[in-house]
Amino acid sequence: MPKKPPVGDDPVLNRSLGRILLISSLLMVASLLWALYDETYGLRPWKDYQKHFASLYSRHLRRIQPTQARAEQAVLQSAEYRKLSDAVTKAEESIAPRISDLDRETNQIVGSRLSVITEPFAITRSEIAALIYQIETSTNQSEKEALQRQIDAIKARELTLRLASANGSGEVVEQEERFNFDQLEAEFNRLQARRAELGAQRAELVKSYNELRGERDTLLGDRLTGLTASQVRGLRARIRNFELGIRQIHVAEVDLVDRCESCHLGIREPLVLTKADMGGQEVFVSHPNPALLALHDPERFGCSTCHNGNGRATTSVRKGHGRHKYWLWPLYYKENFEAGCHQCHAKDLVLDHAEVLNRGKEIYYVEGCAGCHRFEGFDTEAEALSEVQSSIHALAEDRKDMGKEIEQSVLAGDNAQDNAEAQRYYARADELKQQISNLDHEMERLEVRSADLQIEQKNVGPSLKEVRFKMRKEWIPVWLENPHDYRPSTKMPAFRLDEGQRRAISAFVWQTGIEGELPSQPRGNAVRGKELFETRGCMGCHAVGEGDAAQGSSFAANLSRVGEKVHYDYLVPWIHDPQERQPLSVMPSLRLSLQETRDIASYLVTLKQADASYPEADYLEDPALKSEGFMWVKHFGCAGCHEIAGFEEEGRIGTELTREGSKPIERLDFALLTHEAKHDGWYNHKGFFERKLKDPAIFDQGKIKTPLEKLRMPNFKLTDEEIAALTTFLLGSVDSTLPEHFFYAPGDRGQDIREGWWLVQRYNCMGCHQVRPGQQSDLSGMARYQDPDWKEQLPPTLVGEGARVDPDWLARFLRNPAMDSERTDRNGVRGYLHARMPTFRFSDSQIQKIVRFFEALAAQDRPYIPTRLEPLSNRERELARQLFTSKAAPCLRCHATGDPAHDRNATAPNFLLVGERLKPGWTERWMVAPEMIAPGTAMPSGLFQRDGERWVFAGSLPPAFRDYPKDHAELLVRYMFQLTPQEQRRLMSRMPAAATSVASR
Amino acid sequence: MDWVQLWEITTLPDNVPIVLLILVIPFYTWYGLRQAFANDRLIDRLEADPEMAKTHHRKTQPWKPGWAREVQVWPYLLRMEFLVAIIVTFILMVWSITLDAPLEEPANPSLTMNPAKAPWYFLGLQEMLVYFDPWMAGVVLPTLILVGLMVIPYMDTNPLGNGYYTYKQRKFAIWAFFFGFIVLWLSMVVIGTFIRGPGWIWFWPGQTWDHNKLIFEANRDLPDMFGITSMLGKSLFGAAVVGLFAVVTALGVHKLFTWNAFNRKIYNRMSLIQYLLLQFFLVTMMLLPAKMVARLLFRIKYVWVTPWFNI
Repeated sequence: MPKKPPVGDDPVLNRSLGRILLISSLLMVASLLWALYDETYGLRPWKDYQKHFASLYSRHLRRIQPTQARAEQAVLQSAEYRKLSDAVTKAEESIAPRISDLDRETNQIVGSRLSVITEPFAITRSEIAALIYQIETSTNQSEKEALQRQIDAIKARELTLRLASANGSGEVVEQEERFNFDQLEAEFNRLQARRAELGAQRAELVKSYNELRGERDTLLGDRLTGLTASQVRGLRARIRNFELGIRQIHVAEVDLVDRCESCHLGIREPLVLTKADMGGQEVFVSHPNPALLALHDPERFGCSTCHNGNGRATTSVRKGHGRHKYWLWPLYYKENFEAGCHQCHAKDLVLDHAEVLNRGKEIYYVEGCAGCHRFEGFDTEAEALSEVQSSIHALAEDRKDMGKEIEQSVLAGDNAQDNAEAQRYYARADELKQQISNLDHEMERLEVRSADLQIEQKNVGPSLKEVRFKMRKEWIPVWLENPHDYRPSTKMPAFRLDEGQRRAISAFVWQTGIEGELPSQPRGNAVRGKELFETRGCMGCHAVGEGDAAQGSSFAANLSRVGEKVHYDYLVPWIHDPQERQPLSVMPSLRLSLQETRDIASYLVTLKQADASYPEADYLEDPALKSEGFMWVKHFGCAGCHEIAGFEEEGRIGTELTREGSKPIERLDFALLTHEAKHDGWYNHKGFFERKLKDPAIFDQGKIKTPLEKLRMPNFKLTDEEIAALTTFLLGSVDSTLPEHFFYAPGDRGQDIREGWWLVQRYNCMGCHQVRPGQQSDLSGMARYQDPDWKEQLPPTLVGEGARVDPDWLARFLRNPAMDSERTDRNGVRGYLHARMPTFRFSDSQIQKIVRFFEALAAQDRPYIPTRLEPLSNRERELARQLFTSKAAPCLRCHATGDPAHDRNATAPNFLLVGERLKPGWTERWMVAPEMIAPGTAMPSGLFQRDGERWVFAGSLPPAFRDYPKDHAELLVRYMFQLTPQEQRRLMSRMPAAATSVASR
Repeated sequence: MDWVQLWEITTLPDNVPIVLLILVIPFYTWYGLRQAFANDRLIDRLEADPEMAKTHHRKTQPWKPGWAREVQVWPYLLRMEFLVAIIVTFILMVWSITLDAPLEEPANPSLTMNPAKAPWYFLGLQEMLVYFDPWMAGVVLPTLILVGLMVIPYMDTNPLGNGYYTYKQRKFAIWAFFFGFIVLWLSMVVIGTFIRGPGWIWFWPGQTWDHNKLIFEANRDLPDMFGITSMLGKSLFGAAVVGLFAVVTALGVHKLFTWNAFNRKIYNRMSLIQYLLLQFFLVTMMLLPAKMVARLLFRIKYVWVTPWFNI
């Protein structure tokens, strides 16, 4: 033991640590309190949001309650509601006595008896059941008998129960009744059956009453915008009991946890909450597009699957939104939020509710982005073609091998030892022969497909093989310098070419062009050409005029200055049949006569700027430039959009963009702008895409590079709106982590619609036609078509086309819209239209896709089997003739008949086409209410009126109709579908003279 | 000067221990040495005055006559430890509240981060990879470091300095520690944190860590500089150079180890095995600074090239 330490001023022994111990203990306690605060509030900012929401929301509800109550009151006071309400009351009164009888018997007699009987019955039954089991399992006969005696004794036991029953005067009295087991069982079963019967009777009684009530409540819901007063009260009660807590959606199968609604509490509230409603707090608004939420139930999809962001994070807004450099899926910005649709809807070109994304895909598709950048689903024809061709090759190989095996089998059979063996060999040979014929079927199919694909392959730009026929050579280098100078709206982007590159490329293109002479064409009438150009339908794709003065569609080239470059002798054959000259172009034939073509071409060559001048470019003939030109053409990927001699098999030069949105940010080369980007906050995919699209050379800034190393992407001079759309599309192009079944997998119908859009956009159907409700064709925006007379000249709307026309007819029509192999210089259906439905030279599979597309858009069944129409009786035929020629509905005044004199003034199709072209159901709906199907149509509405279950003619009825009991509209439909040319002539002759000769306009 | 860059590195939650290290190590080094020198002065006084030494053997300053020779663990030590525990708890609490765990994005097997850095305590090892081949830097040298640390008590024949700070009585040990731990190990941790940027390129503090930076750095092996091409020649030449280095370093170490009479006394107590072991570890340790100089100043990659290992 050490000695007791001496007392002194030894600091080790005597120094007091009290003060420092106190201070550090206090600090530690303070840090502990801090930790507690941090845990309860610091890391849970959503608590404040929730408190704030509760007060704002209850204030809002309080505010709207009186207005909603007043609005509800107004509906309640309305005659219609009161009528229904009275009916409800009356119905209630009329069934009340019967209901109360039923209820009394159910409750007081049957119910009370059952409640007494059930227990003793169940006990006895299980006692017997247990004994029966013993009998079943016993092996001893005497024991079985003893057990059976026991059961008999139990069954014979009598029970006295006090049960309710009705006496003679209908009052309920209780009295004692005695039962043995069998009686008890019978009574139990009887009561159960009685109860069910009473229930059914009651349900039957209240059925009509409930229907009335439902009708009344639906009326209230329909008339009232927003909630009823009682619903508001319910919400207020709920908000009074508001509990603070994390609100989360958990989708177990993808391990998704989204706590977004911990702050965004108004998202799924059953009323529209605007920013103003919620005291200016945007965080509390309800979802701006409830229709999307209805399609994508948040309980199944969560929030962050579409919007991105970090659904788990609750500690700060920044982290919740994923705006953190280590969070790879930050919330999409407002202008790009539709990007979220793409991961599951990648194969849809056109998607409801996603206009920005649709626009982005359209630009990508139509402007030719896919010429350089592969993107799954875009421009797949070339890949499909090579696949088909290699399949054909493989099949041919198989076929050859089988042929050899046949020979060997036959040989082996000839040399076989015995008959059985020989037959086995011959059988094998026969089997192989049949297999070969199967292969032949398959090969035939593939060859058809291959031929189709060759037709389907299209380029965004024109073929450059034709330059020598087509244009002045001086124009080429000027065009290459900056295409937007010559044609501001062109799809051709501006490449950053120096003088030498320009010269070399021009020379190469010029020298690889096909040489030859085109026959010289006589000039046409330019004035008539202008009229034709503007009315035949050219302007469904082309425009003329610069800037705001431009008229027509921006789909194809703006032709304002086309006269400066083209040769007239080329224009004529080109316009006459574009597919003949350039099969890779989408330009269709309008089936113009040669004279019309010359007129239009003559007009086009007059389109030029007076002061346009092009410097001499004799170097285009310099063979020394050709090889350098080849290199640059290859380098810049010109063959992505143009057909160029020697580049037929050229691949894409750009990076694939199918998964660009989830490419690691490190793989996007910000080059010397990296630090600026990080500093200014655009070091992300959005920042990269937007800047690259605005100025494709931006990431070369400050870099020293040789011409071959420089970034190649040309400048498309995109507008900010286009850039936002493309950025949205690219941001959404991600490698999804969701399982396959989350993706949109349409049924046959959806699939047909999906595939059709690719064709509708490629061939610009919407330049002339309305395909979707709400969409306007390019033609309809032109000044000319604002005139009411010209409005009737607009090509027909295709909304509901699938319900209107017979699919087989549509296929024939698409193949040849003239509907006649001889007289092609016309419209097959609407001869009266100036604009002409062009011949696109679709492949068979394209026609099939388009037909299916329209059928699917109109929700038609596939295949279409025409309804069988009842033949007309003689009387009916006569009635129909009378209607057809009546003064109130002179059908043939507007509808064409095939008689040239008459048809000059016709503004509607020929009835003779009805039978093969239309579907009867649609025809009837059309006659009854054309305004519903094609608003603004010249076809009069209100021709028929409702009479009970049938439609009757609204005009003055011919007397013969008085006792005709059937539907008048249906009668006309049947008549039209069975119309023959003779019958039509007969009708014509019966037309009132005034009507036939009316020169309507 | 890119202050933003420097600030970013300094304030990275990962780097908190290293920033603390830079501040704390010099402070405690100074503080420990101050106490050691004070104790040395007391030892001198005690040795000069046998009477005083008899009354008190506590070799720590401040010292006054009458103070206790020995004190109890409880309460005199434990209460201090308790106090320290409280303060450390406080620091850890504040640290954990204010700085979140420095998690990054999910690992992507197809994308290596750049720079890819080891945790701070392994940065020294990672930096060694610049100077030696992976077999040496990753396996042999770390093993030798661990074994060497374990062997220290068995090589140490100096009985003095237990339980008190002293410089005079453990000069060699202290210098060896300074050099091995602070100069070699810690400085490499600091280099790995502050100096090595993208591509493990040398960026001076305040230089922007530019992913696009390109440097021209053609390293060569020492035998190549002498035009030796055959494998055998390279092996023999390298062995000769490394052997020469070992001999020269060992002589230098010996000179230092036997610098004064006190050292020689300690030296005389050592067995041959103890001494050879000491020489082996010290010579191996000196390989590192030698290679750093060769690599950083003369762009020499390896000195001794063999098919099995490179030094």
